[in-house]
Amino acid sequence: MRRRPLPLPASAAGIAAIWLVLLCVPWLTASEYWLDTGIAIATFAVLSTGLNLIYGYAGLLSFAQVAFFGLGGYGAALLVTRLGWSFWLALPAAAIIATWAGLLIGYSSLRLSRHAFAIVSLSFALLCGIVARDWVALTRGSMGIPGLSLPGFDAPAHMYRLTVTVAVILLLGFHVLLSSRLGRALQAIKLNEPLAQSQGIDPLRYKLLAISVSAAASGVMGALFVFHLTIVDPSVFDFYYTETMLIMVILGGAGSFWGVIAASAVFSIVPDLLRFSSDLRLTLYGLVLVAAMLLFPGGFAGMLRQRSLLRWKTRL
Amino acid sequence: MADTYLLQLLLNGLVIGVIYALIAMGLSLIFGLLGIVNFAHGEFYMLGAMLSFFAVTDLHLGYWTTILAVTLVAGCVGVFFYHLFLSSLRAADFERSILLTLGISMVLQNGGIYLWTVTPRIVPTPYSYAAVTLGGMQLPVLRLFTLGIATAAFLALYLLLSHTLVGKAMRGLSQSSDAAAMVGIDHRSVARLAVIIGIALSGLAGATLAPVYSVQPTMGSAFVFKAFAIVIIGGLGNIAGAAITAIMLGILESLIGGFFPLTLADSAGFIAMIVVLLFKPEGLFGRGVRV
Repeated sequence: MRRRPLPLPASAAGIAAIWLVLLCVPWLTASEYWLDTGIAIATFAVLSTGLNLIYGYAGLLSFAQVAFFGLGGYGAALLVTRLGWSFWLALPAAAIIATWAGLLIGYSSLRLSRHAFAIVSLSFALLCGIVARDWVALTRGSMGIPGLSLPGFDAPAHMYRLTVTVAVILLLGFHVLLSSRLGRALQAIKLNEPLAQSQGIDPLRYKLLAISVSAAASGVMGALFVFHLTIVDPSVFDFYYTETMLIMVILGGAGSFWGVIAASAVFSIVPDLLRFSSDLRLTLYGLVLVAAMLLFPGGFAGMLRQRSLLRWKTRL
Repeated sequence: MADTYLLQLLLNGLVIGVIYALIAMGLSLIFGLLGIVNFAHGEFYMLGAMLSFFAVTDLHLGYWTTILAVTLVAGCVGVFFYHLFLSSLRAADFERSILLTLGISMVLQNGGIYLWTVTPRIVPTPYSYAAVTLGGMQLPVLRLFTLGIATAAFLALYLLLSHTLVGKAMRGLSQSSDAAAMVGIDHRSVARLAVIIGIALSGLAGATLAPVYSVQPTMGSAFVFKAFAIVIIGGLGNIAGAAITAIMLGILESLIGGFFPLTLADSAGFIAMIVVLLFKPEGLFGRGVRV
């Protein structure tokens, strides 16, 4: 049913080429606006690919991606400002914090049902926002933790190159993972869990692995993102990120690697150009989500795939 | 003095608890009969509260008329909600049902912010500052009314589920939809009634609590996240379990909030949910629509 993925060396070469092109962008434009947009695209590409791994491949609807992102951001910010850690140590620590959170909600809820996972992940994301706002002694509440800076990466172009490089490495990692045994096992679990189990695949272990990987990547991007903004406040847990990620994954086509990355780019650029206010934007996203669920549940990429499947069937 | 403080906390917790219960019971009823987790449930609570604000300030309806009218309107909204969105979903479409109701919730909440802004509004009533003094304790009349209204709603739902034919059909359907179909229970009309009741209870909760606290478009998401925890702790689909858990959580939060930092009170429901999931994943009271 799925098209065969590109052979690994070819797509690795493709990704490396894209990376080199992206690194050259700061020479073409000095506009900070476009560099910020580039950082947003890179961040959302990793976040929504992380959601795609959990939802599109493993079939688990996770609303906790924004929590992993925000925990990475707060974790790194607190380690650097309170404990005086170097950012380069705080970055893997952010990944570890996010992974632990992912394992906690995954292990506790997956033994019950997929419904429970969706509910627990949403509650966790909302709780993180509330705790960040109310635990003033640790997080300074809604004032946030300002003054985050990364020595040696003060210029916008430096931060842009760093974010793009990390994002490309993470996306490459996702790609390798998805074309490996893990990706196939996840798809087998999604298609038919009892059958996969009978082949010796332990669904819980693979699902937890997918959640950890996705959480770790989101945590890393969160740490980078707050150091790009130079401040972290409770808005990093905003539901806006969850909704945007969902739109990217669903319209890009859950389970389609490049579809979701393309959708990340489109949905990072277009709403900004249209200059909608955030509540109007989210209302429209909601309408799009409702329409997508009623009309084409597989997303655009899913629709194209279905159409090619239909053509293939008629040819037989 | 310390005793009065404790009793006051208990009363506040009980009031919040019964409101949680109204919302969580509807959520649980809809899940038990349709297999759908309604992520938009909190928005109907918000709409109920908003509607009661406009009914009181623009239409000058009285306290009791407003509550009755809002509950009826919410029930009608339930009919549309079922026919437009939920009736096309099957229990196997688990992601579709969640994303669809989540999309509806986004539209309602952000549309609400767009139309009405996040400024909190106060619903004026003739009882707003009235209080009964009992043994040195001030009992605000509105909170007592809330308790009374919620108790009446619990009783009505209990009688419906345990003493009527349609209640029997609901319980039967939640146990086994195949067996229910075999004895001639029309799945669609029973499911529609469950959605109507669930949404009406949410609207009732919003209209009742609106004069006690302030009203604004984001109030739904804060509440529904508590309701989710309650439904999981009480056992998915277990209505009585949801009601008991809701009241316990309301009191627990109020007591924690009275003596410890606010963060802990907000996290109590979530922590309890995780603990229950780790040690008793079926919930404290087991599954199925029970009374």
